Parts: sequence; C-alpha cells; structure tokens
Amino acid sequence: MTRPAVLEIRDLRTYFYSRAKEAFIRSVDGVSLAVAAGETLGVVGESGSGKSVTALSILSLVGGSPGVITGTIEFAGATGAGTARRNLLEDLGRYVRVSERDGRIVAVTKDEPGWRARVERALTGVRGKEIAMIFQNPKSSLNPFLTVGQQISEAIRLHTPVTDAGEAKQRAIDWLERVRMDSPRLRFDQYPDGLSGGMCQRAMIAMALASEPSLLIADEPTTGLDATIQSRVVALLAELKSEFGVTTLLISHDVRVVSRLADTVAVMYGGTVMEHGPARDVLAPGSEPKHPYTAALLASLPSAQTNGGRRTVDGRLPVIRGEVVDTMDVPRGCRFYARCDRVTEAIRARCLGQEPALATVAAGHRIRCHLYAGETCAETRPG
Amino acid sequence: MRRYREAAGEVAERPERSRWRAAALGDRAAVGYGLLVVGLVVISYVVGAAGWLPDDPSRMDMARLNAPPGAGHALGTDFLGRDILSRLIVGIQAYFLPGLLAVAISLALGAALGVTAGYRGGRAEALVTYLSNLVDAVPRLVLVLLVIAAFRADIYYVMLVVGITGAPAVASIIAGKIQFLRQKSFIEAAHVLGLPTRVIVLKHILWYNCAPLLIIQATLGMGEAILVETSLSYLGFGVQEPTPSWGNMVQAGANYFFHGKFWPSTAPALAILFTILGFHLLGDGLNNILESKSAS
Amino acid sequence: MSDLRKQYQARAGILAALHGRTRSVPAVDGVSFALAEHETLGLVGESGCGKTTIGRIILGVTRASSGRVVFDGHDITALPTRALRPLRKHMQMIFQDLDAALNPKMRVRDILREAIRLHHRLDDAEVARRTSELLDQVNLKAGKLASFPHELSGGEKRRVGIARVLAVGARFIVADEPTSALDVSIQAQIVNLLHDLQTRLGLSYLFISHDLEVVELVSHRVAVMYLGRIVEIGPAERVARAARHPYTSILWSSLVEKRSQEVARAHANGGAAWGVFDFERPGQGCRFAPRCPVYEAAGRPAVCTDPASEPTLSDAGAGHLVACHFPLAR
Ligand SMILES: Nc1ncnc2c1ncn2[C@@H]1O[C@H](COP(=O)(O)OP(=O)(O)O)[C@@H](O)[C@H]1O
Ligand SMILES: Nc1ncnc2c1ncn2[C@@H]1O[C@H](COP(=O)(O)OP(=O)(O)O)[C@@H](O)[C@H]1O
Ligand code: SF4
Ligand code: SF4
Ligand SMILES: [Mg+2]
Ligand SMILES: [Mg+2]
Repeated sequence: MTRPAVLEIRDLRTYFYSRAKEAFIRSVDGVSLAVAAGETLGVVGESGSGKSVTALSILSLVGGSPGVITGTIEFAGATGAGTARRNLLEDLGRYVRVSERDGRIVAVTKDEPGWRARVERALTGVRGKEIAMIFQNPKSSLNPFLTVGQQISEAIRLHTPVTDAGEAKQRAIDWLERVRMDSPRLRFDQYPDGLSGGMCQRAMIAMALASEPSLLIADEPTTGLDATIQSRVVALLAELKSEFGVTTLLISHDVRVVSRLADTVAVMYGGTVMEHGPARDVLAPGSEPKHPYTAALLASLPSAQTNGGRRTVDGRLPVIRGEVVDTMDVPRGCRFYARCDRVTEAIRARCLGQEPALATVAAGHRIRCHLYAGETCAETRPG
Repeated sequence: MRRYREAAGEVAERPERSRWRAAALGDRAAVGYGLLVVGLVVISYVVGAAGWLPDDPSRMDMARLNAPPGAGHALGTDFLGRDILSRLIVGIQAYFLPGLLAVAISLALGAALGVTAGYRGGRAEALVTYLSNLVDAVPRLVLVLLVIAAFRADIYYVMLVVGITGAPAVASIIAGKIQFLRQKSFIEAAHVLGLPTRVIVLKHILWYNCAPLLIIQATLGMGEAILVETSLSYLGFGVQEPTPSWGNMVQAGANYFFHGKFWPSTAPALAILFTILGFHLLGDGLNNILESKSAS
Repeated sequence: MSDLRKQYQARAGILAALHGRTRSVPAVDGVSFALAEHETLGLVGESGCGKTTIGRIILGVTRASSGRVVFDGHDITALPTRALRPLRKHMQMIFQDLDAALNPKMRVRDILREAIRLHHRLDDAEVARRTSELLDQVNLKAGKLASFPHELSGGEKRRVGIARVLAVGARFIVADEPTSALDVSIQAQIVNLLHDLQTRLGLSYLFISHDLEVVELVSHRVAVMYLGRIVEIGPAERVARAARHPYTSILWSSLVEKRSQEVARAHANGGAAWGVFDFERPGQGCRFAPRCPVYEAAGRPAVCTDPASEPTLSDAGAGHLVACHFPLAR
C-alpha cells in the first residue's frame, strides 16, 4: 500500500453468547482489514456476515456480551491529537482471557465493567470526532426532539474548534448545502419528523462530515431508501468523496452501491474476510483470480442477468445454493464449503478440514481459498 | 468477571435449552417457590376436603389453651384449645373455590372485553379504559364492603365483585397485546387465508399469544382474592367462627399477641404472607420467563 | 373458469392522520389492469405509491372506495366479507413483512396444517402426506417442521409463507415484495422457486416490488405506478428497455446508468427543485410534473399542469400503454 493506513484491523474477534444453545455466535471471527488515507474501503457480504458488528467493534459500541475478545485496531487520525498511531483495543488482553481447544475458542472470561470503563476513557474524542458514523435508517438515528440544525451545530461545537453559536449555525447551513439539501435555511429549523428518508440521510451525512472526521464509517447508508433516492444518495456520496476525500469505510450488502463508490473492497462471509483487493479486480464479473463466493455473489445479481438480456421467464437465475453459514456453528474447514461449487477432488480434504488463509494473489489482492493457496508464498496473515 | 463457556459436542445436534433452563436464576427461583406454594395449597385443600387432618379443627382441648407448638399440636393451639395446623388446612376451604371463581370471572370477562377493545378499537377501547380507571379509583375493599352492606356477607358475592372488578385490568392488558399483535401482518395473513374471525381471535390471538398472559393474570388474581378474603374475615365480615379462615384466625389470635402468646396469630399471618407472596412471585417469574423480549 | 381476469378501477380513500389532522389520501386513484392465467404482472413504483394497497384491494382486505375487481367472474368489491372466504381458496397473498407474517408462537408444522385443513377435510395421514409434498415443492427440509418462525432464516420464512399459500390451493398470488428483505443469493432462490411453481402449477402472480431489476426478470408484463396511478404498462421488455414515460425512464436509469443518460442528467440537474404532488389540491394536471425532466426541458408546457387534462393511459402500440402528453421517443 502506498498511502499510510488510517485504520488497520488485525485478527478481530467479536463474539456473542447464546444461553439457549450454550454456544458462541462467532459474528466476527478473525477479521483483518486496512483502510488507506483518502480511500474508500467497501465491505460487502450477505446479511449476518458480520459487517455491522465489525463497524461497531471499531468504536467499541457492540451491544452484547462478551463482545470484542481479541484483535488490534490501529488507528491514526489525520488531524490534531489523533495523529499518533494507536491501538483502540489496547490492553484488551488485561480484561479478556480465552481458552482454546483444538485451535478453537471454547471459553471466554471477560471483565465487562472494567473493559467498559476502559473504553469510555480511551474512546472519548474518537467517537463522533475522529471517527464518525452513519447508520442505516437515518430517521431513528436522529434525535426527534431537536431540529436538524441544532444537531449539526452541536456536532460542530463539540468536535471542531468553532465554539461560537452563530458561526456554528453558519457552518451547519454550509454543510446542509454541501449535501445538496434543498432550502438549507428552512431545513435547519425543521425536526427530523418533517423530513423524508432521503433528506434525513443527507442530514446524517452533513452531521457526520461537519465534525471533520479522519474516518467516516457508513453502515448501509442507502439500504431501505427508495430506488430513485438510493441512487441520488450514492451520487452524493460519490461527489463528496471527490470533493473532500474523506477516508471512508463503506458497508453495504448491495454490491452495486459498493462497486460505484469503493476503491478497495473486502468481501465478508460468515464473520471473516474472504477476499480483499482493488474494487476493479474483485467486483469485475468474470475476472480471475476470484474467490468462489465473490463469483457466486456477482452471478446471482439480477443485473448480471438483465445485462445479458436473459430473463427468468424463460430460464432460471443462477443461485448460491443453501443458506448463509450459521455463525453459531462455524465449520472447521472453509466456511463456504457447504455452498461452494468449485471444490476439486484435489483440495476437497483441505476445504473440509482446514480453514484457508488469506493468501496474496496479486499486489494488494488477497483471497481466502485453497484454490489460490499455492499462487504465492508471501504473507499469510493471522486468522 | 463473567465466564462464557461453549458446551461440548456439535452445536447443530445440541437441543436448544428450554426457556426454563435458559432463564435467569432469580426467575427460576421465584417460579419454583411459587409452584411449591401452589402445590401445597392444592394438596392442603384436598386433604382438608377429605378430612385427613392431624386433629379435628373444632375439637377444643380445654386443658391446653393457647399452647405453644409441641407434641400433639405441631403449630400449637388457639384460645379455645383447637389445633392450629388443622385449622390452617381447613382455612384454605374459605378462599380456594371462591378464589378460583373470582379468577375465572376476571379472565373470562377480561378476555372478552380485551378482545373486543383490542380488535375493534374505538368506542369499545374507550369503554375498557374508562372502566379500568373507574375500578382503579375505588379501593376494592371499600367496594366489597359496600356490596356486603347492600346484599349479605356471602363469600361468593364478594368473589363475584372481586372477579368483576379484576376484569378491566385483564382486559386492558389483553387489549394492549392485541393492538401490538395487530400491527403484525400475521393476523391479516390469517384473514386472507380465509380463517373465520372467531378462529383468529380464539386460536391465533388468545391461545397462542395470550395464554402466558392469562396464566400470569390468574396467579396474580388468586393472590388478590386470598388477600380480600383474609382481610374480610379479619374484619369479621367474611367467614364466621367457628369455621376457620386465615383471616379470622389472625383476628382471634391477635387478642393474645401482646400477652406473649404470639403463635395463634403468627401462624396464619405467616401462611397468608407466604402464600400471597408465592402467587405473586409465580406470576412475576412466569412473566419474566414467558413474556421477555428474547422469548419472542 | 379458464380466463382469470381482474379488472380494476378504484378510487380508494384511506384516512390518514398526518400532523394531527385527518385528511383523505387517495392511495390508489383510478387504476385499471387485467391479468391472465399463467401470467406474471410486475407492479413497480416508489414506496408509498399504493402498490400494497392495490394488492390488498384485490384480495378484498381493504375495500375500494369505488371501482371493481373481477376475479373468475365474481365482483370482489361487491361481495360481503363472508362471501369472499370461498374465493380465498383461489387467491392468496405473500406478505411483505418477513418477520411478522407468521404467527410467532406457532410451529411450522401447525402453520401448514392449519392452511391444509382450511378448505379440505383431511385426516392426519393425508395432512402429513400433503405437508411433505408442500415441503418438497418449496425446498424446505422436513427438519424445519418443528421450528418456530424466529428460528428460521429469512429465506426459510419466505418458503414457509409460500408453502402456506400453496396449501390452500391458490392459483392467483399477490406477492408483495417477496424478495426485498432477502439477500441477493436467497432472492435468486426465491425468484427461481416462484418461477418453477408457476410452470408446474400454472400460477398467476401480481409481483409487487420496488426492485426494477427483479421485476424485469420475473414479469411478463410490467405496470409502473406513480402516486396512486399507473403511468405505464406493457410487456416487460418494452417497459424496461424502451420506456415511454419519463418517470419509468428515471426509475430504470437510477440503477443502470448506461440507459437514458440524458434523462438521468436532466434529473440530476433538476434534482434540487423536485417537489411533490400535493394530494390536497387535486386537479393539477400530471402528478409527475413537479419532478418531470421532460416538462422542464420542454419549457413547462401548460398542458402538463392543466387541471382539466391529467394524462390518461393511451395506446403506444403492442399492448404498451403510457400516460404522458409527451412520451419519450422509441
Ligand atoms: N447484540 C447481539 N447479540 C447476539 N447476536 C448478535 C448481536 N449483534 C449481532 N449479532 C449477530 O451477529 C451476526 C452478524 O451480524 P451483523 O454484523 O449485524 O451482520 P451484517 O453483516 O448483516 O451487518 C448475526 O448473526 C447477528 O445475529
Ligand atoms: N391504513 C392506512 N392508513 C392511512 N394511510 C395509509 C394506510 N395504508 C396505506 N396508506 C397510505 O397509502 C399510500 C400507499 O401505501 P402503500 O399501498 O402501502 O404503498 P406501497 O406498497 O407502494 O409502498 C401511502 O401514502 C400510505 O401512507
Ligand atoms: S476453500 Fe474450497 S470450499 Fe472454500 S471457497 Fe475455496 S474451493 Fe470453495
Ligand atoms: S405529462 Fe408532462 S409532466 Fe407528465 S410525465 Fe408527461 S411530460 Fe412529464
Ligand atoms: Mg448490518
Ligand atoms: Mg408496500
């Protein structure tokens, strides 16, 4: 990577515990990612693959226990005090002990109050300021009792050197303008209730950007919006990207959204990264090398059919058979094995018995699949 | 420090732990204690009805008045030398069937009102809200005393009143639940499927989705009925001497309480306390286990 | 009995409480279409445009304020609720909300048994046989019979919903956003399943969706709705690839940039000025005018906003109808 990484996650594990099954839900199970300064990293994957939990883990906002149990999250802000590179999960080992059997975590002991207190100390000034987040469902992430303007001004006064109320207001209106909100002065005094879903998302984006973060995390920013509104929010994000160059972690289950915005793409499945590389290589249909899961995901897109002019009325869509892997019951071998149709007899035993490592197949392009395990001998990351 | 441990064996083959086993320890203890109390009450009721008692509850042992617990009288005797344990057991007769009647009335009337209010909304709902406010505004014991004054001191009349006044509370809980359920499209899906409204209400709504609520309300209602009966008997409006009731036993024993003979009133008082507590804990524990968020 | 038709012309006034005031929102406003046997009619449009309302009116769940729905010769809109029940055997609905469409406290087995027994008196052995046949048809494992809905994945819930609809023997199914809550891989499975069932059982679908690509794939014909009105209807290929109505064109171009580049650009330019049609002041002419790039480009012609001339569906050839004064060139 040429540019320095703003965020580098290594071997992150975030687990939940099911009392009914007495089993761990391995939502994030050995994720490694890096976001370089100024780039947009797109994270795609089916629902339940652990995208949101990864994002929440970065800010230690995971709402369940035991939560984050292993890993490092190196963060280097672009401004102010945050410039120094530091590990957001520092000292995690002091609060968590894991026991393994056959290379698998089977028990966790965590001092939750202690860890929570540590997180509060360590992450003030990071949450909302250094790292801002946009959620799916903008309506419920805005405070219904404050006007849009109040919320943006508050973010500005809290997170930027601006403290003067009048100046904060002017800046808030500027931001509303920059996110192409029509009649920004009018919207400034409106409550979220009076805005449509698309406008709320614009307000959320304005609020997130107004605190001038080093990293923007956008979790499903367009999901749940109408098709026409969706494309306009995507267009807005693309424009803001070229205008302000904010380093972004963009999460979406929608391959189309990610392919329009991301420079680098990570494909997640069953709590781990299956493929990580330049967007044009990873998401171009038919290009090689490619993880079997990525290939199948791209093939099942309806647009893959309409572009070819084929229609289901006369034929069937290609599907990924079966269901998403159960993160409570992760197989020993490759997580995608049960649904994979590219297993060859030569590698079957390995697919079944041994989890493939992320192997580098080209510069900056890594694939977690035994088919590509022999491509290079470089770099095998933990997890 | 909290410890999370994965059980041995394949997750897929492991049966899901029942809601009971996965429940919090406190709730399980509450329900366990409540069930114990209910079991004891039912057994004692049967024992008392069949007359298998340690002693004749009305036999006076003039030689041993207000005797402390000891040989022959496990809980001692009262001011007429009658065996307190036997009288406690027989005392259950005073509230058992009447209490059940009150509960049955509350549930039947409450469910009917609740379904109408929840399903039709509008005026029916306003009526239920009005009724439950009305009932809340008048203390129940006062209402019961009024009824006694107007008619006569019959426990079944009293329980009729208790049952009817308990109905609005049940109704508003059921109505709330139905309003919550009606936002879910499965009710509409059942209509579209072609199921008659009667089946949807009785089966899909009441049976599948309100049964736990009704059971919880029943246990709480039984606790309430016991409280009313014992209070009345204590005040002298309920069961009359020489027929024993926990209420009139406390009352009768109270005269000797400050003369150092505390057991004749303490025994029934504790029985009342632990029994009502049992019904309430049962209702509360069941509520936490059956109606918690994770359960649905 | 052979020719399955629905004719539909409704003015459904649904009372909505908005901002504390009650006003009447014409959710569906003068819509007509017919659906033949073995046919899939796709219904697309932004959320809130009235798609679900149309589905509900067809099934008689919501009553139309006016207009008629004819199914197998029965006028649904004229029948009392009780008389609708026998018709439910033939027309059914797959509900949009994945999580709420199944009774949370009923096991899959009981859900299916109830639907099977509804119109046919069968003994336990026959019910069991029919159940396994249904499981087979929707590709659901028999092991899931004992599960409660919350224990199922999204795709499995959807399959149970479809199995239930088949259990009563429906031939015409309103599928309300059957794939929108699902992942693409599962979406493709469900699309294939619906397609297979259509071939095997001769079903007809009204396929409601806001996902244009899916609609284009599954439908024989597509109807495009905007604010309670159908603005374009025709063979799927023509509506998708040779849209005549500016709105349809924008809808499709919002996903596939390659198509109608100039319309997309016009729409981005005029974006800030987009208003919405005001239901409370009816008779403003074409309800798409406040957002219409063609209207802008043509210098805001008066005919588009003339209250007396709201455009109506007119023939554009080959079964393709469009409601616009200035339809796009082919
Ligand atoms: N608080 C929680 N408690 C238990 N399980 C959770 C919790 N949050 C998420 N999960 C589980 O973690 C998995 C991954 O979830 P998520 O990261 O939200 O997926 P997605 O990729 O769709 O964003 C899911 O199986 C989900 O059920
Ligand atoms: N029960 C109702 N009460 C009030 N308004 C309703 C009701 N149902 C639907 N509407 C309104 O009717 C319009 C159409 O809704 P709907 O048919 O659900 O749209 P779609 O399915 O296309 O998203 C919306 O504006 C909605 O707010
Ligand atoms: S490792 Fe094997 S099972 Fe996994 S994706 Fe590669 S070929 Fe398929
Ligand atoms: S009638 Fe006029 S305003 Fe309406 S869609 Fe056609 S061109 Fe646009
Ligand atoms: Mg998510
Ligand atoms: Mg809808």
